[in-house]
Amino acid sequence: MTRQLAPWLAGALLLAAVPALVESPFAIHVCILVLMWTALGAAWNLLGGFAGQVSFGHASLFGVGAYTTIILYLRAGVAPWWGMPAGGLAAALVSLPVGLLCFRLRGPYFSLATLAVSELVKLVALNWESVTNGPVGYLITALPPLRLFGHAVDWESKTPFYVVAAALALAALAATALLRRARLGAYLVAIREDEEAAEAVGIDTVRAKVLTLALSAFVAGTAGGFYAFYFRYVDPDAVLGLSLSMEMVFIAVVGGLGTVGGPLVGAVFLTTVGEAVRERFPSGHLVFYGLFMMLVIRFLPEGIWGRARRLATGLQERALRHGAA
Amino acid sequence: MEIFAQSVTSGVLTGVLYAMIGIGLTVVFGVMRIINLAHGEMVMLGMFGAFWGQALWHLDPFVSLLLWAPLMFVAGTLLYRLLLRKILPGGELNTLLYTAGLSLLVANLALFLWSGDYRTISLSYGASPLRVLGVSVSVPLALAFGLALALTAGLWLFLARTDLGRAIRATSQNGEAALLMGIDVEKVAVITFGMGTALAGAAGVLLAPSLYLYPTVGELLIVKCFVVVVLGGLGSVPGAIAGGVLLGVVESLGAVYVSSAYKDGIGFVLFLLVLLYRPAGLFGVGK
Amino acid sequence: MALLEVEGLTRHFGGLRAVADLSFALREGEILGLIGPNGAGKTTVFHLVTGFLRPSAGEIRLAGRSLVGLRPHAVARRGIARTFQIVKPFPGLTVKENVALAAFLRHRARRDAEAAAAEVLERLELSHRSGTLASQLNLMDQKRLEMAKALATRPRVLLLDEPMGGLNPAEVDVASGMVERIREGGVAVILVEHVMKAIMRISDRVLVVNQGQKIAEGPPAAVVQEPAVLAAYFGKRVA
Repeated sequence: MTRQLAPWLAGALLLAAVPALVESPFAIHVCILVLMWTALGAAWNLLGGFAGQVSFGHASLFGVGAYTTIILYLRAGVAPWWGMPAGGLAAALVSLPVGLLCFRLRGPYFSLATLAVSELVKLVALNWESVTNGPVGYLITALPPLRLFGHAVDWESKTPFYVVAAALALAALAATALLRRARLGAYLVAIREDEEAAEAVGIDTVRAKVLTLALSAFVAGTAGGFYAFYFRYVDPDAVLGLSLSMEMVFIAVVGGLGTVGGPLVGAVFLTTVGEAVRERFPSGHLVFYGLFMMLVIRFLPEGIWGRARRLATGLQERALRHGAA
Repeated sequence: MEIFAQSVTSGVLTGVLYAMIGIGLTVVFGVMRIINLAHGEMVMLGMFGAFWGQALWHLDPFVSLLLWAPLMFVAGTLLYRLLLRKILPGGELNTLLYTAGLSLLVANLALFLWSGDYRTISLSYGASPLRVLGVSVSVPLALAFGLALALTAGLWLFLARTDLGRAIRATSQNGEAALLMGIDVEKVAVITFGMGTALAGAAGVLLAPSLYLYPTVGELLIVKCFVVVVLGGLGSVPGAIAGGVLLGVVESLGAVYVSSAYKDGIGFVLFLLVLLYRPAGLFGVGK
Repeated sequence: MALLEVEGLTRHFGGLRAVADLSFALREGEILGLIGPNGAGKTTVFHLVTGFLRPSAGEIRLAGRSLVGLRPHAVARRGIARTFQIVKPFPGLTVKENVALAAFLRHRARRDAEAAAAEVLERLELSHRSGTLASQLNLMDQKRLEMAKALATRPRVLLLDEPMGGLNPAEVDVASGMVERIREGGVAVILVEHVMKAIMRISDRVLVVNQGQKIAEGPPAAVVQEPAVLAAYFGKRVA
């Protein structure tokens, strides 16, 4: 048990140390992005990596979370830190009918259906002006004051956001680890391997997939709420674009499908490279995302983390054999 | 009544162009089981080909078809031989993800090279619309329609009458049997992919004078294209033609009688309904 | 009362009648052979009973309760397990993981499921392959795994779809012995098989179908004498 918890504790400590060690606001900003994308990659990975259901529509869940958070704050005065989980819940609720509908389809047909649903959600956001403010979207001009441990939180500093993002990413990874050990996790793997055979041994495949999608949606929606909270700006292109869905896919695939650590590795790798290029021109990171995606599928289909883990187990086994001999 | 005739006409005109894009996607799926998510980018490249042909060499977009269609064919065969062929054994989902990567790469390279500005192609003969039987028709769209019809008819003849065309149809119906019958499936695959790419590029060239062009236009087109091929049944050429015209007409009627804002949504709803209730397509010819 | 009752089972595919007004019963502890020429509708019957296909008409009852309309997982939960003619292992998982997944149906905790899986593997003489990936098994062991998965769901009725197809004569004998032991363990079996020697030896009764209809039913030795059966198998005209 302690052996399993050790890497988590080390990771949490490392995350806690970052704000003390890193001075530059830009570096902290990159860390925040990495953590947000880790959560998003992990959300997508629950469904795409474990259950093998490739969704091209996760941006809609992220967007629902972002809109919920920002609308609750601007229209009803609900502070964003309450709005974030509310966004997650809203996304999970939206995911239920979507899942019941789309999970009647298999393989690429499921992927295309999620794409269509996501485009529909974007259309609604663009046109339902009374609620979403249409293409203009929403802007938060000032965040509500908050006192914690006797200090007022400074919203101009990046540190509070860093803490929230770190908690979000850790929670998403921990959820993945727990799911993997739970019965549902085993069911998802069975569904990925052979859906008919899974039904034949008594697995309610639709229920398992819908539940997982709801969990995935909750994480994605909460991350969307965080986006609204941190960037203070939400419009259809920013939170509902197809490229956003694709980025989640890429992070999970590049990191390693169906692994716990994969989304973290994918997010670190793609976000840092992406931000370095984005400096030069706005959507340059997407060129590299596309390129890495192609390279990984061609040469490293198990992803960076997947390959690293296999190499590590290989070395361990060799060492054991040497030790025994 | 006049409005109705007008919108049906423009719906049919655009629909045939949708159909042309859809045919490219659907033949590639039929033969190789590839759902090419980068298909929209092929259309985008055709559009920009037409644009730069006019801007740099004063080439009429419709004349430049003679240049770009063969070039896109070659590009397609190279793409298949050098990149896609090695991915195919990894399964349908891997191929889907791979072409998703390709799509992002091409679109954003184009964005880098040509910026995200919206551009238009203006033609001397495009200013005043033609009036036929009380319905006004834009000249470039009518020209594009005519050429698209001709190309589609040519493709049809090729598939129906030539040995290679028959080989393609046979492979599409049953790849293993085609292999056993001594059809060079690999050659069929290369040619089909080249053809699909050329059709997409040609459709782009033809559409360029009638649409705004920008590097990420492929995103919009690919989704429409899926609607078209799913309506007609994935893998079916006649289905894609019918699906294209249907989508064109439904969109243009929907814009007039339902809501112009949700015009694109009508297609998606149709798409979901067909996927769920008639997965073989509205005409039951797909697979 | 019979354990499994099928009455008037019918299934159309478009204009084609794959199964037509088929009725039969399976008793507690029985092995029922289901035979017929290729395309007779045997696998379709399995699909219908296990909920992979919906009947166009007819009734299916397990211990008096109707199964019609249930999805496959619910049928498995009620106590009917099946194997597939073309085996369907979870290829990327080990043998033990495969069987444990099936055992989850009756055990909540992973440890209990794994223990149950180990026991089933022991019974089917597959323990030595526990750690092997399912995709790397030979055909005999794949068939064993297919049965192990089905048994791990603790069924009352087991539907075996050609468990001996492709095996050599020695392996057929081993497989026949396995089926008999499964029955001795209190599971009623319906066996679709083309290996006549095995069917004749281990079935208590045989049901012969052709073009979706029952053409004969009874003890194996009697059934093979019936003219209709001979006609179906050898194309002879019945005088």
